[in-house]
Amino acid sequence: MFDKSRWRDYLLHLFGAAVIVILARDINLIARLPQDVNQGAIFKIIFFHVPMAVTAMTAAAVAFVASVLFLITRDFRYDALAVAVTEVGLAFLAGNLITGSIWGHIIWGQWWAWDARLTSALVCWILYASYLMLRRAVEEPTQRATFAAVWSIFSFIDVPIVIFSIKWWRTQHPQPVFWGGGSFPHDWLVVFLWNMLAMVLLAIVMTTVRVRQENAQRELDSLRRTAHAM
Amino acid sequence: MHLQSIPILLAQMTTPDDIVREAARLQRNYEFLSLGLTVAWVLLVVYLLFMVSRWRKLKREIASLKVMLEDRQK
Repeated sequence: MFDKSRWRDYLLHLFGAAVIVILARDINLIARLPQDVNQGAIFKIIFFHVPMAVTAMTAAAVAFVASVLFLITRDFRYDALAVAVTEVGLAFLAGNLITGSIWGHIIWGQWWAWDARLTSALVCWILYASYLMLRRAVEEPTQRATFAAVWSIFSFIDVPIVIFSIKWWRTQHPQPVFWGGGSFPHDWLVVFLWNMLAMVLLAIVMTTVRVRQENAQRELDSLRRTAHAM
Repeated sequence: MHLQSIPILLAQMTTPDDIVREAARLQRNYEFLSLGLTVAWVLLVVYLLFMVSRWRKLKREIASLKVMLEDRQK
């Protein structure tokens, strides 16, 4: 008989295994690729820095959609998805900020610059971190989910600013390789896209696990209420 | 972007000082690249471990509450 949850588990493990295989293969391939003449080996940080940013921004978009759907339907599954994907996106955005900072230390000679891209990305991280803090501060589940959804929608305003800041303002952050007139050699592009796939798969696995935790937390809250009422 | 392998880069240097400077630059680049990748991965692994520990704690609490509720119903 077709067991839905068992198949979900299989799929989750399959995705996790695929992530490990792809990343192990990619690290080996990245080490063998030639260097950029101007920047040297540090340029290879782009293989992690950009996929982490793309994953984080996608997570923010999913959180936005889930929050809107929660406010329309009041279905707590959307609230669980919103909190799960926000937390995972925050981890990826932190990785993106740190790898960018390390690149900046070598190329710019400083760890941080208060330009539009970096500042808006940091503001984005703070906004989504405050989303998680807000959830901890409100106890009543419906109120917590509603406030959090509104805050998530508000926070999403910063996402287009992060993405387009390098187009709208003159920034110290370089123009993007793909829509800024630059290009990747074919072998670099292939590894880059595989790494991007691995990051997205990793985010999917993490979000699924986190959604399950959120459902378990709801079950726990319900059991606590029952125990309290008895 | 322009790509070149390390031996070609070093062959373009004209003086021994240039070679030493370029080798030091390459070394520093590799060190910071390793640092960047390590930090990114440690961050994700720590987050994964945090998730696993939270999951175990939740399961334990649910199981103990269920046992407690069953006992009370008896």
